[in-house]
Amino acid sequence: MKKLIAGLVILVVLVVTLLLMGPFYVLDEGQQALVLRFGEVQKIETEAGLKFKSPFLDNVVVYSKKVLPWDGEAQRIPTKEQQFIWVDVTARWRIIDPKVFYSSLTTMDRAFGKLDDVIDGAVRTVVTSNYLREAVRNTNGILQVDAAEAFDTGDAEGAEALQELALAEVSYERIDKGRRVLAQEMLEIARQLAPEYGIEIIDIIPRQIRYSDELTESVYKRMIAERSQIAQAFRSFGEGKKAEWLGKLENEQRSILSKAYETAEGIKGSADAQATRIYAEAYGRDRAFFDFWRALESYKQTLPKFDKTLSTDMDYFKFMYSARGR
Amino acid sequence: MAERNITPIRGPIKAATIVVIVAIVASAVLLSTSFFMVDQTEQAVVLTFGKYTKTAEAGLHFKLPFGIQKNYNVPTQVIQSEQFGFRTLQAGRQTVYDDRSYPEESVMLTGDLNIVDVEWIIQYRINDPVAWLFNADDRDKTIRDISQSAINLLVGDRAILDVLGPARTSIEEEARIFMNETLSGYGLGIQIIGVRLQNIVPPQGVQAAFEDVNKAQQDMNRLINEGKEAYNREIPKARGEADRIIQVARGYGAERVNVANGDVARFKAVYEEYRKAPDVTRDRLYYEVMEEVFKDAEGVTLIDKELGNFIPLMNLGGQAGGTR
Repeated sequence: MKKLIAGLVILVVLVVTLLLMGPFYVLDEGQQALVLRFGEVQKIETEAGLKFKSPFLDNVVVYSKKVLPWDGEAQRIPTKEQQFIWVDVTARWRIIDPKVFYSSLTTMDRAFGKLDDVIDGAVRTVVTSNYLREAVRNTNGILQVDAAEAFDTGDAEGAEALQELALAEVSYERIDKGRRVLAQEMLEIARQLAPEYGIEIIDIIPRQIRYSDELTESVYKRMIAERSQIAQAFRSFGEGKKAEWLGKLENEQRSILSKAYETAEGIKGSADAQATRIYAEAYGRDRAFFDFWRALESYKQTLPKFDKTLSTDMDYFKFMYSARGR
Repeated sequence: MAERNITPIRGPIKAATIVVIVAIVASAVLLSTSFFMVDQTEQAVVLTFGKYTKTAEAGLHFKLPFGIQKNYNVPTQVIQSEQFGFRTLQAGRQTVYDDRSYPEESVMLTGDLNIVDVEWIIQYRINDPVAWLFNADDRDKTIRDISQSAINLLVGDRAILDVLGPARTSIEEEARIFMNETLSGYGLGIQIIGVRLQNIVPPQGVQAAFEDVNKAQQDMNRLINEGKEAYNREIPKARGEADRIIQVARGYGAERVNVANGDVARFKAVYEEYRKAPDVTRDRLYYEVMEEVFKDAEGVTLIDKELGNFIPLMNLGGQAGGTR
C-alpha cells in the first residue's frame, strides 16, 4: 500500500515535471516564438495554440506580435531658422522577423535602445532641416481662413475702421510640406535601418511641439504686445467716439441756441417794426400835436423825479401875477 | 499535536485522507476553473491553449478546466474616457478636479506661432474585443498618444483666435476622424465616439493681456455711452432753452405791438377830440399834465424871473429848498 502510494506520487510528479519542461508549451494570441536548440533557431512559431518542442534540448523565446509603442524623451532641437523647440514624438513598431530580431537585438530593452537612437536621429535630421512653420502647421488651410477677429463693437459707427485698426496685418508664409509630411520623412529615414533588426516602424507621430523656455518668454511678450495694441485701439476708439459726441453736443447746442437767438431777434425786430409803423402812421397825422402830446407824456414820466427849481417864466404860472395873464 | 496522535492509526487513515484531500482539491480546482461569468457590460474572449476560440456574451459560461481554456473579459458596452490637460480626482455630485496643470499635454503651438493651452476629453468604446486584446500593446498609452498628436496637429494648423473660438467644432470633428483612422490602422479595435474640447485659454502669462482686450471693449463702450449720455443730457435741454428764447421774443413782440396799438388808440381818441377844439384841448392837457407832475412835489423852489439879481441859495447837500 505504502509502496503503491509512493510510486503513484513519484509518477505524478514525474509526469507533471515532464509536462512542465516540455514538450508542450502554450503560445498566446499576440505572441510569436523562436524555438532554439543550443542557440540555433529551429523553428519560428507565429500562430497561437499548443506547441511542441523537444524537452531539455529546445529553448523557447517568446516575443510580442502586437503593435508596440515607443516613446522617447522630448528633444530640444533647433529648426532651420535656429529657433529651439521641444519635439516630443512617439512611434509604433512591431517585430516582423523574430529570427533577425533575436540575432541582432535579442532583448526588448536593447530594441528600445536601438529605436531611441534611430528615431531620435531621424527626428533631429528632419526638424533641423526644416522651418518651424513646417513642423507646426500641417496644411495651408490657415491661408484661406479669414482670420478676422470678431469684436463686439456694438452698433458704433466706424466699427469697420476699428476692425482694421485692431487687426495686426496677418500674412502667413506658405508651407511646402507640413507636419505629417515631416513625420513621413522621419519614418522613411528610420525605416531604412529597421530591417537590419527585424522590426518594422509603423509610424512616427509628433505628439507635442512647443517652444523652448527662452523662446516661450519672447513669444509671450509678442502676444502681450499684440493684445495690448488691440486693447489700445479699442480704448482710443472709445475716446475718439466720446470726443465726437461731445463735439456734436457742443455744435448742436450752439446751433440750436444761436438759431433761437436769430429767430427771437427776428420776431422782436418785426414787432418793433410793426410798432414803429403803428406809431408813425398815427402820429404822422398831425406833427405838431404829436410833439405836444408826446412831450406831455414824457414829462409825466420824467419830471417827478427831477430836483426841481422852477421859474415863473413858465406858461403854467402866467396867471400868478395877473388875473389877465401876461 | 502531531507527535501524540500519529502512532496508533497511521497507515490506512493517512492513505484515505490523502485520497480525499486530493479529490476535494481536484474537484475544487475543476469547478473553479470550469465556469466564468460575463457581465452585461462585457464580452469575453475565450482562448484554448492560447488560441482564440470564441467570444462569449453576457451570462454564465462553461470552459475547459485547468487553464486549458482561458477567458478575458472586455468591457465592450462601456463608454470610456480619457482626460487631457486636467484630471478628475473624484467624480460625483460635486466633482473634484486636480489643481495641477499638465502643460506637457495642454501647451501647444498654433499655426500663427502663438501658444495656447488646450484641455480636452475623448470618449471611446471597444468594438472588437479580440483586436483590443491581441493587436497592440500598452493600449491606453497608444490612445493617449494619438489623441495628443491629433489635437496638436489640428491646433497647429489654425490661428490662435480660431482655436479659441470658431474652430472648436471643426477641431473636435477632425480629431475624431483622424484618431479613428490612425487607431484602426493599428487594429486597436476601438471606436472614438467623441472628442470634446474643454477649456481653451491663452497661456497663464498672457491671459491678463487677453482679458484686457475684453476690458478695453467694455471701456470703449463705456466711453461712447458717456459721450452719448452728455449729448442726451444737454441737447434736449438746449432745445427747450431755444424754445424759451423764442417764446420770450414772441411775448416781447406781442407786448410791443399791443403797447403801440394802445398808445396809438389813446392818441387817436384824444386827437379826434383835439381837432374839434384844438386850443382849449391843448391848454387843458397842458394844465392836467403839469398838475399831475407837480402835485406830489415838495420843496420845489420857484424863482421869479423879474428878480434878476437874486441868487437862490440852495442846500445842495440834502434838504430840498433854498431861501425862505
